[in-house]
Amino acid sequence: MERFWLSCLSRLENELPAQQFNTWIKPLRLDSKTPSGQIALLAPNRFVLDWIKNRYLARIEAMAAEYFSSPIRVSLAMAQTEAAAKPAPASITEPARRRSGGHEKAGLIPEFTFDNFVIGKANQLARAAGLQVSEHPGTSYNPLFVYGGVGLGKTHLIHAVGNNVLAQHPTAKVRYLHAAQYISDVVRAYHQKSFDEFKRYYHSLDLLLIDDIQFFSGKDRTQEEFFYAFNALIEAHKQVIITCDTYPKDISGIEERLKSRFSWGLSVGIEPPEQEMRVAIVQKKAEAISVRLDEEVAFFIAKHIRSNVRELEGALKSVIAFSRFNGKDISLDLAKEALKDLLSVQNRQISIDNIQKTVAEFYKIKISDMHSKKRSRNVARPRQMAMALAKELTQHSLPDIGDAFGNRDHTTVLHACRTIASLREKHTEINHDYHVLEQVLKG
Amino acid sequence: MMQQLLLQLAPPPAPTLDNFVPGRNAAALQVLRDIAAGSGNERFVYLWGEPGSGRTHLLRGLAQAARARNALYLDGIPENAVADDGVIAIDEVQRLGADDQIRLFDLYNRARAAGGALVASGDAAPAQLALRADLRSRLAWGLAFQLHPLSDAEKAAALRAHAHERALALPEDVIAYLLLHARRDMASLIAILDALDRHSLEQKRLITLPLVRSALEAMKDKPCSTP
Repeated sequence: MERFWLSCLSRLENELPAQQFNTWIKPLRLDSKTPSGQIALLAPNRFVLDWIKNRYLARIEAMAAEYFSSPIRVSLAMAQTEAAAKPAPASITEPARRRSGGHEKAGLIPEFTFDNFVIGKANQLARAAGLQVSEHPGTSYNPLFVYGGVGLGKTHLIHAVGNNVLAQHPTAKVRYLHAAQYISDVVRAYHQKSFDEFKRYYHSLDLLLIDDIQFFSGKDRTQEEFFYAFNALIEAHKQVIITCDTYPKDISGIEERLKSRFSWGLSVGIEPPEQEMRVAIVQKKAEAISVRLDEEVAFFIAKHIRSNVRELEGALKSVIAFSRFNGKDISLDLAKEALKDLLSVQNRQISIDNIQKTVAEFYKIKISDMHSKKRSRNVARPRQMAMALAKELTQHSLPDIGDAFGNRDHTTVLHACRTIASLREKHTEINHDYHVLEQVLKG
Repeated sequence: MMQQLLLQLAPPPAPTLDNFVPGRNAAALQVLRDIAAGSGNERFVYLWGEPGSGRTHLLRGLAQAARARNALYLDGIPENAVADDGVIAIDEVQRLGADDQIRLFDLYNRARAAGGALVASGDAAPAQLALRADLRSRLAWGLAFQLHPLSDAEKAAALRAHAHERALALPEDVIAYLLLHARRDMASLIAILDALDRHSLEQKRLITLPLVRSALEAMKDKPCSTP
């Protein structure tokens, strides 16, 4: 068995990136008490266990079948030491203090919890890692490095870790801060010559949550201070959690020694949410503020806002505000109306040139006909249409618009606007043309 | 000397939430009133729209209405800007340079943590702003409104209201003339009206169509500046 496991380890080491191998495979132990004919592996914690089960167990079984030339069962269990590791570090077992005070001092937002963190494929690993760390701060993955694009829930996740740690250890010294704030703390310490105090504070924390570490880019003094704080905390088995917009190796403007330390523990990514998850997020947010939302409405929002969770939340707010302001219930139609502006990618500046070009193309006439003196209907009508659109979609004065159409008088522009308005009422086709052109011009 | 005196006598009325003609922007106006009063649910608002749609007016109006909440109107971000539980109105975010964007990002996070309110404005929908992604997504996080320019009828009403505040007799045919002959964004229209006011005082003539025609002719060569 032992021989098999060693060969299995060396093969996996070749197959997998070093970081993955070190994170998932290396901590596994072969259970020596297993009867022959079976392989039992021990994982250090539930998190690794689940991960191995989902990702690597089939591969290990295949290797075993190959090695022993017959199918063989590989079981997974949690190592006993897990239970032993449970008691919290001595520093955080003092009598409980008032909870709310703890949150405030820690810079934590109490609303960001694991309960309201919506899980999907995009973030399940990061969430599991965060949960694991919050249950065993300082002893499972240190540092925990969470990376991903903006508005995907990194901040929510690390607040959830902080809140969970505080819930279990109310006296723990937890501190959440944004990297920019750390930078200004360094600057202040520098001006006030209070580095000793600064160091004492940061080195005494039980859990440091630091957001958007990419802000340290190019800030040498800050990086140096952070380097010491980081080392002190890790050596004392105090938990450090870092978020960043990219993978540790890719952060620019950060010293190598820091970057390499960032990947000592576990680095987990958060990806943009897929559609199902976006629907769930919208529903959960609505639920949190006791707003009833039909599934089709949540679906509509999720379908159109794809980039990140903040924008999703912003869109939901717009729908709710629109419904309250107009005193109407939220329906699909209302949501469409409420998000109309937000969803139409506005062509920022619509120019008269642009209108002339678009209208000429639409009616298959030459752009020069917009300026020409020709008065035949096949040219004059599109020209009037373009003038009417110019009045509606730009803020130019009527004389300016007239000038742009071959030095015509402003009364000609006015006449064109009136003609088009009355034609739109009588002929659905012209009305349709107008709307199509308006839409094309607005993007 | 004489001109200087006239300018001092006739300061343009400060933009307030009360003298904003809402048109289709009533919902945005209401949200800002709520913020000024410290009531409302939403502390983070982003307004966008084309020039002359009323962004600056609303932000200045908000800063004025929320004086009791230490409101601050900003165009660009001073290095020592601090956010507490007050109200910050920050105009033209699309013009912020790299450093200012970081400062606004920081200001946003602090306002969020401290229970403050932050209202920003720009020239494009939040997701379309050419800003740092982390700042952009934060601006998109709050409530966003597109400000729609007023219709001609609403502009006429706004001009009437503005003239009324300055105790200026503004005949209807002059309003109609301005809407047909001048640039039709509110900032330009108001600037023209203010210029007409000065002009009529200097010439000691009432504002009439002939006066306006000659004044607009005279202004043609020098583009009027927006306030």
